[in-house]
Amino acid sequence: MADPLSGLRTPLGRVRFLGSARTGTTEAWLMHVTSLALIPLTIGFVWLVLDLLHMDYNGARAMLGQPLAAIVLLGFILAGILHMEVGMRSILVDYIHGHARAWALVANTCFSALLALACVYATLRIAFT
Amino acid sequence: MATIDAASGKRRPRPLSPHIGIYKLTMTMAMSIAHRISGAALYVGVLLLAWFLIAASTDAATFGVFSAFIESIIGRTILFGVTWALFHHLIGGIRHFIWDAGYGMDAPLRDQLAWATLIGGFVLTLIVWSIGYAVR
Repeated sequence: MADPLSGLRTPLGRVRFLGSARTGTTEAWLMHVTSLALIPLTIGFVWLVLDLLHMDYNGARAMLGQPLAAIVLLGFILAGILHMEVGMRSILVDYIHGHARAWALVANTCFSALLALACVYATLRIAFT
Repeated sequence: MATIDAASGKRRPRPLSPHIGIYKLTMTMAMSIAHRISGAALYVGVLLLAWFLIAASTDAATFGVFSAFIESIIGRTILFGVTWALFHHLIGGIRHFIWDAGYGMDAPLRDQLAWATLIGGFVLTLIVWSIGYAVR
């Protein structure tokens, strides 16, 4: 082992990447922001579902085509699926180890992204056609 | 690095910190587990919302398939479960915000909050389903 005080590396170069990357709170912050947003959005979403219960195809489409309903729904989808993706990430890192963890995390992100795209696309299609 | 056992020469595993198995189950522990389970259930439950939206954006026949499923006994049972998971997780989340604000961590109140989460989840589910049947 070389003397840490000698060599050609600068003092900054020797310590770089050995400490906090200052990103450790990203997931906790995301969970808090999406949770807070989801309190009113969930109430709005449940309200929407209760309205939709006794509607047929045309009624449901007409209701979801209204701006306020579509915006609440899109907010619920985006905040909810982001919350769900980050939440599942913390479950996966708790129970899955090694290479399987990396694949599980990739699968989680891809599944969530696909679900979000499908829901947003369908909602916009209902609103605009 | 695992330490080498002097007698056998084999690697000894590192000591593990105590896990849930050795603790007496408390109400806050049970609700912590229920929060995670209800969250995982909602992860699957969102598929119902995706199915509904895709069906409603396709045509009346596709929408009819979804309607028939959700009105069946199996569909209603799944929807009831998802409703409970949604409200349980929602109230559990509010409980976490109360803790984050620095309140409700003392002995009587933290258990009361945990009970409120459990009871509140079922009460809200029953209220919303009662409204659902009343407006039909």
